Amino acid sequence: MTGDEQFGSAQRRRVLTIVVLLIFGVLMLRLYELQLLYHGEMNKKSEENSVRAIVQDPIRGYMFDRTGRLVVDVGPSYAITLVPVDFDMKNLDLLASLVEMDPEALRDRIARARAYSPFLPTRIKRDVDIQTLAAIEEHLTSLRGISYQVESKRVYRTKAHASHLLGYRREISDAQLSQAGDEYRQGDLVGVAGLEARYEPLLRGEKGYEFVSVNSKGQIIGSFEDGKKNVAAKEGEDLILSTDFGLQAYAESLMTSHRGAIVALDPSDGGILALVSKPDYDPSIMSGVTPLDLWSELQTDTSKPLFNRATLTRYPPGSTFKMVLAAAALQEGIVDENFRIHCTGGFRYGNRLFSDLHVHGSVNIVEAIQKSCNVFFWQLMLKVGLEKWTEYGKRFGFGQLTGTDTGDETAGLLPSDAYYDARYGKGKWTQGYILSLAIGQGELGVSPLQMARYAAALGNGGIVYQPHAVEFIHDKSTDKMQRVHYDSSLVGLSPDVMALIREGMRRVVEEPGGTAPLARIPGIVSAGKTGTADNPHGEAHAWYIGFAPFDHPKIAIAVLLENSGYGGSKSAPIARLVMERYLFGGPAPRHPKPALAVTAAAKTISQTVHQRP
Amino acid sequence: MREYLKEYFDFKTLLICLALVGIGLLSVYSATYDVGAAASFERQVIWTGVGVLALLVAAYFPLRALQRIAIPMYVVTITVLLVVLVIGKTISGSKSWLGVAGLGGQPSEFAKVATALALAAFLARTTTSLSNPKHLLIAIGIVLTPMILVVAEPDLGTAVVFFAMMLPILYWAGASNFVLAAILAPIIAAIGALLGTLTFLVTLLIGAALLYFTRENRFAAAVAFALTLAVGLTVQSAYERLQPYQQKRISTFLSPDLDPKGAGYNVLQSKVAIGSGGFFGKGYLQGTQTQLNFIPEQWTDFIFCVPGEEFGFLGASVIVLLFTALLLRGIKIASLSSNKFGSAAAIGIVAMFAVHVLINIGMSMGLTPVIGIPLPFLSYGGSAMVANMAAVGLLMNFYAHRKEH
Repeated sequence: MTGDEQFGSAQRRRVLTIVVLLIFGVLMLRLYELQLLYHGEMNKKSEENSVRAIVQDPIRGYMFDRTGRLVVDVGPSYAITLVPVDFDMKNLDLLASLVEMDPEALRDRIARARAYSPFLPTRIKRDVDIQTLAAIEEHLTSLRGISYQVESKRVYRTKAHASHLLGYRREISDAQLSQAGDEYRQGDLVGVAGLEARYEPLLRGEKGYEFVSVNSKGQIIGSFEDGKKNVAAKEGEDLILSTDFGLQAYAESLMTSHRGAIVALDPSDGGILALVSKPDYDPSIMSGVTPLDLWSELQTDTSKPLFNRATLTRYPPGSTFKMVLAAAALQEGIVDENFRIHCTGGFRYGNRLFSDLHVHGSVNIVEAIQKSCNVFFWQLMLKVGLEKWTEYGKRFGFGQLTGTDTGDETAGLLPSDAYYDARYGKGKWTQGYILSLAIGQGELGVSPLQMARYAAALGNGGIVYQPHAVEFIHDKSTDKMQRVHYDSSLVGLSPDVMALIREGMRRVVEEPGGTAPLARIPGIVSAGKTGTADNPHGEAHAWYIGFAPFDHPKIAIAVLLENSGYGGSKSAPIARLVMERYLFGGPAPRHPKPALAVTAAAKTISQTVHQRP
Repeated sequence: MREYLKEYFDFKTLLICLALVGIGLLSVYSATYDVGAAASFERQVIWTGVGVLALLVAAYFPLRALQRIAIPMYVVTITVLLVVLVIGKTISGSKSWLGVAGLGGQPSEFAKVATALALAAFLARTTTSLSNPKHLLIAIGIVLTPMILVVAEPDLGTAVVFFAMMLPILYWAGASNFVLAAILAPIIAAIGALLGTLTFLVTLLIGAALLYFTRENRFAAAVAFALTLAVGLTVQSAYERLQPYQQKRISTFLSPDLDPKGAGYNVLQSKVAIGSGGFFGKGYLQGTQTQLNFIPEQWTDFIFCVPGEEFGFLGASVIVLLFTALLLRGIKIASLSSNKFGSAAAIGIVAMFAVHVLINIGMSMGLTPVIGIPLPFLSYGGSAMVANMAAVGLLMNFYAHRKEH
């Protein structure tokens, strides 16, 4: 048997040495694997462990009006925050009573935040009042995990509401959040209407991150690498609007007792001077977090205050549309100014009698516009035909989206052969169907914004602009003022044709027998056209479109009053007041156009911005 | 004088030990200075001083006398372990701790060294022969007795060290492969039984294979296999009768991943700490895992993360190299030693260090189960420091007396 002779034998020494070397090899291999092979991964984990990013919300971009005045500002708002991992759920009821929330809603909120990240502070209630804040501060020591942060909310420095133009923000939905990247987190407000929505990506700026070291309990120990890796929040870009907020406020005041819309444009570039939709709401109630009850009230209100009548309504334009037919007839050479029709106050087509309220006698095309003679345009429609009418309607931008930056809009409806074929079947409709289109009735549907653009095109000699509110975008980080470029198209009317139509419109306002003497502005020649849209459901909708001054118009306007009767008596006086105010009572002139001067203006604006406390 | 020192003073072993102690103090300081445990560092410095004394005493203690008192010392140690068990029941907290008038210590740390010495002394007797089954059983009993007492504390980690020490000493002393297999097979089967029926069957097969290939006669092999089967079945049925919380304690011991908030958490954070150190490390006192207290009680069992994170691969490999050098040095001393007592005891000390190093560094890197045993010279702890320094002193002693019979 083996025994003593084996004691400490060389062979056994070898084996033990090999075992030790094996241990050495295994440990070294593992060290190599962890420290060299997986170093990156482990280092990342180590940083995730000990470094937390605290989000710094950027200051949202401001909005300035066409005079360079700050109208949409940012002010402080306080949000109560909670770190799920630190919060003791036993304090749920206390917290709920302090922030005046339903405990179950609060529990749900915390659960969702925990699912998102248990370590990151989440805002459980935003835009709290000072009393709530004070109550929370008193309990800060007993409520672990609770804190507050200062954030910004909109402050409106204008008497105007401009609610549909500016739009509003709401808390980001879970669906949006799941699609968004780093730029949003739970509780963030996101623009959902108007300019706030359209320019959300620019207005919101870029979040900043402050990196802090935390210990294993998640408590902040200090800044991470002395803040060298911190990313400063990038302020949102500012919008410089074409809108005149003095005019906007005034226009709104004229509409307080009406339902309807006013759109005023700069005929020289399509800039929106004013955009009113009534009834509206005070945007400051939606500046921070909109309380649910208020929100549902706005949504269920039968007068639809959230609905943008200026861009979304689709009513027939009535007689205001007659210039489209006139343009088609003259430009296509179907008639000229010598073509006359004897108006007897009625028109028989087939076995149907179309009757007008007035007997105009012999009228040419200019007088027909001036007096809004239906008989003339019915007959003219039969000569021009639907195809040409539709084509000129398109040229003025009807039946299509305007491409405005102010939010949702309707394309309206511009009937065509194809439309009737689809609706009634090919060959199953007659010319009688289209006669009502001649005077802007029937299936035709337009929005006030489209009408204002049409008025502007008639005023500026035939350029159809993309109507817009934002003229310049100012990036404060680079101090670059960038002009926003918009599309435009030409209606394509010869100067003679345009002159005839404009003369008709001038006479509407300025000459006896015109339908809109109430639109006359003392000391200034203007032009326009009234319209009364038949409404099978009740009182007609009153339209007026116009521009002033006649020769070099500075303002073009469309006014729509729902269920108000005649355009000449109801809408024309409002249009006149708005234009008058703009031409005489308006504030300082807009910033000069040449690029160099614009940059100077931009600097002034940016300085005002930076000096703000 | 120089000649004398070269002949009788083991500088190499001492330098390796002092280098490790130095790294250990740096690590304990880093892990404790900022978490309100700075007093730990000062105490560790004091214990290191005591350790140096223990090293010198052990190095210069007459070898013959040491061999003679090895068995009585062992008996005293066993008695103290028994006392710990009794008093440990009345004192709350660690049952492995013995405190007398403000001074305290963990006797099990010294018991490891004492057991190695006792076993060596027994094996060194001229009458002892491992081919004698009776002698073999006594040898095993010398190790199993303190091991069972430590298990009862319960300190499973230290118990593993006792067991792991036994095989190399017996192997060194000339035990046959069959004897080693017969000891190993029941243990493997017992662990397998705890992990489930399938693993039990697999470990039984492994045990059977071991016994078959090392067999000296069929009868002994059959008896050994029967023993293996019996141990496995006993463990299995005993496990099923345990309370669920006791079962959980055992299963967590065997696989800490089952307890991600406890042991599993430590392993994860420890791996992250070491891995994030990279090649050069984050710099002394700059390790975020260490400084931000991500690894609880890091200055004890998970101390290896500190140099791992702060000194990186460079520093960590130096530590592993130093330990390897110490182990190889111990084996060399055992080979050089002409007397059996010193030789076997040296192997026992080498085995003790090897198990500590493999399991401790291994668990820091997620290789081995989280068994609460300290890393020699680095982990915070007075008893371990003094016992380990004494063990190094013994190695130096064996070196100095290597030529005596």
